[in-house]
Amino acid sequence: MVSKKSRHRDPLVIRTPEGLYCPKAKAHIDPWRPVDCALITHAHADHARAGSKDYHCALGGEGLLKQRLGDQQITTHAYGESFIRGGVRISFHPAGHVLGSAQIRLDDGDSVWVITGDYKRDTDPTCQAFEPVTCDVLITEATFALPIYRWPSMDQTMDQLFAWWDHHVRHRRTPVLLCYSLGKAQRMMAEIQRRSDRSVKVHGAVATLNRVYEKQGINLCPWERTSETNKGISSDLVIAPPQVAGSSFLKRFQPTELAMASGWMQVRGVRRRASIHQGFVVSDHADWNGLIQTVQDSQATQVYATHGETRVLTRYLNEHLDIAADRLETAFGIEEGIDQ
Amino acid sequence: MNFVGLFQALDTSQSTNAKRDALMDFIRHADVLESAIAVEALTGRLEKKRLKPSLLKYTANQAFVETPWLFDECYATVGDLSETLAILFANPQAKPQTNDPILKQWVDRQTMLAGLKPEVLADALLAQLQEFSKDEAFLFLKLSSGGFRVGVSKGLVHEAIARAIDMDRAVIEERLMGPFVADRDWLQRLQEPVTQNEMDARPLPFLLANPITDEEITALKPQDTLIEYKWDGIRAQLIKTDQTIRLWSRGDQDITEQFPDIVDSAVTLPSPIILDGEILAGTPGQLQSFNQLQTRLNRKRITQTLLKTHPAFFKAYDLLRFQGADMRDQPLVARQAVLKTIAIQQSPVLAPERAEEIAAMREAARDIGAEGVMIKDRQSTYGSGRKAGYWWKWKLDPMTADCVLIYAQAGHGRRANLHSDYTLACWNDQDELVPVAKAYSGLTDVELKAMDQWIRKHTLQKFGPVRQVEPLQVFEIGFEGIATSTRHKSGIALRFPRILRWRQDVGPKDADGLTHFHALMTSNHAL
Repeated sequence: MVSKKSRHRDPLVIRTPEGLYCPKAKAHIDPWRPVDCALITHAHADHARAGSKDYHCALGGEGLLKQRLGDQQITTHAYGESFIRGGVRISFHPAGHVLGSAQIRLDDGDSVWVITGDYKRDTDPTCQAFEPVTCDVLITEATFALPIYRWPSMDQTMDQLFAWWDHHVRHRRTPVLLCYSLGKAQRMMAEIQRRSDRSVKVHGAVATLNRVYEKQGINLCPWERTSETNKGISSDLVIAPPQVAGSSFLKRFQPTELAMASGWMQVRGVRRRASIHQGFVVSDHADWNGLIQTVQDSQATQVYATHGETRVLTRYLNEHLDIAADRLETAFGIEEGIDQ
Repeated sequence: MNFVGLFQALDTSQSTNAKRDALMDFIRHADVLESAIAVEALTGRLEKKRLKPSLLKYTANQAFVETPWLFDECYATVGDLSETLAILFANPQAKPQTNDPILKQWVDRQTMLAGLKPEVLADALLAQLQEFSKDEAFLFLKLSSGGFRVGVSKGLVHEAIARAIDMDRAVIEERLMGPFVADRDWLQRLQEPVTQNEMDARPLPFLLANPITDEEITALKPQDTLIEYKWDGIRAQLIKTDQTIRLWSRGDQDITEQFPDIVDSAVTLPSPIILDGEILAGTPGQLQSFNQLQTRLNRKRITQTLLKTHPAFFKAYDLLRFQGADMRDQPLVARQAVLKTIAIQQSPVLAPERAEEIAAMREAARDIGAEGVMIKDRQSTYGSGRKAGYWWKWKLDPMTADCVLIYAQAGHGRRANLHSDYTLACWNDQDELVPVAKAYSGLTDVELKAMDQWIRKHTLQKFGPVRQVEPLQVFEIGFEGIATSTRHKSGIALRFPRILRWRQDVGPKDADGLTHFHALMTSNHAL
């Protein structure tokens, strides 16, 4: 098929030691080393690293980026609005991953490339919903590219969460929910707020990011930052990053009951290996159907998979959906291994 | 609460006490037929494999007919066949029903499914799974395919039953020995007085030995003990009543049919009697390796030829009931005195005066084909379970070898998606690495994780879930014995191989060759 014109030209995006790079626009996308111009999909540590000269991100992402990287030269762009650099039209589009997360669209007139960053297709009260963007070449994540990853509905998960919470409060144990401090924690709190008048206690790492969310008008449930003096069993849910498991932080609430909210909790063995008693399957990444749906929505004729189950996704696209797909090694996803 | 509710409570419990309480609660309040089948399942008594794993795989392949490799990827990540099917085919939006009894219905449905032709079964099973929530589908499949473990030991179930009906655990364990009938009267039956005949015919809980520590060896008063060889066979009770002769294994299996030769030789024994001892391969004059017994256990029909090529006999070392009396409350010396009057192959017992005699017996063990020495308190009664201070085992040091990792595979359960199953190799005389052992454990969690990372980075080839890795990592393995084998390319089979340590200090060239194993085989009279 000769129509796949993009494959016969110089690619619009290449991989350099610094990360994904658009030579025409002289801009890197989520670079893992300092560069002149960094287009950032979202503020998670494996996508947003300090040290570059100029940063560009979606309008809603600036607060988190500043929180993570300190004071930087940041230019923000409203979703869908484009700017031109080196003859390349660049725009940010909602990715539905966390507050202000974006897919990045690059268009040089000959071909359109989209880099998804991390994304999900499910609704999330803390960020704008994913919008499909058509393109010639799609560079997608593949964190959960296996059919075993199918996310249950949030209604069901929250019912489970409330039942678990109440159960342990009744048995005089502090319910502790481990989840990423950026994104997942706020999503859980917003879901709690939508369904109840419950309040939570949060770890310092979560509190800092909560303020950024609230400043941007995201409605979280009532929360209070935990403190050294605040000891004893809590009937409020305690929300903390996974790193606190086994640390002295949890001691002040003893006895505690640990749960984790993560897509990895789909597999019982993974949950048990992490010594987590209760897992809630909640992910800010697309599940299998979401990934396939996104590839199809994009109408791309060439797909690159950057991190996660890239081998599975590319093989499925090549063999089963007849879409040319290859793997692209990146440094993304390092923070999101099974251990978190 | 039904079994699904119980499973959820057990699966999310922190402590053994919480699990026990959940079980107690369930036994007290659940429908009595539900609890009967649940106890059957949790104590491994449920009829195994009504739906064989091969049928589950066939079903999955029907659903993934265009992309069978995709199912294999899923299975490799999940590490459990039932769970993989449950995740893939259950309705993710369905809510599990955790109250009304379901087990009887499930067991009936499984029996119905098992009777279908595979093509029909696949469709019927898929339709069934789609009605379930993930947890229900998982349990349904687990129950139907045998291997059911939810981190609850048999002992814990027994304790929970005992507490739930306010009876002594030892009595409950004794009453639960032997065949279990899962009906509406099971709890009632446990509380009834037992007849003399029942007592004579029922297997008794085994007394188990603890491994002896260095401190215990030093503290031991040899004159207070009796010692004998530790035999490498199948621990079993020989139960003879006026009507029957049975062999009951420590795994709670009736294995009588596998050993007609032992039954024949027991005809002359007085009855009723219950003996504790070991089933050994070979003849008293010439022991054979444990592998030979495995053959006996695995065969459906025990033919005359097999009896000749794989003979077996029973070596008695304790007497639990004799002529209607319970001997277990009597001290070991008294039981031994009666046992000596009975005409059956027995383990020679020594009353040591000095510690050196114990060590000497242990030294001699390998030469006569035993795996160490048993040290028993002379005055000890026959308790149940792993009681401290009754019996100790002092095993021979394992044989060791340094081997090279060549294949790795993800583990199951807690080790799902973690490459923890290793195939280890040694050098043959053409300087090729030939596999000698598969080993699963022995590394710390930290080491396992580090190795998992290493394996992922140094994979040469993937064969489904198995990764061939660069032959660079060396591990010291320990094992209890070596036998020649026609099934393995290396020509040898190791008994109980396990990883002792990660030899990060040596390279693959320093690993042992087959000659090392051959030397061990001759020098140690390994069976």
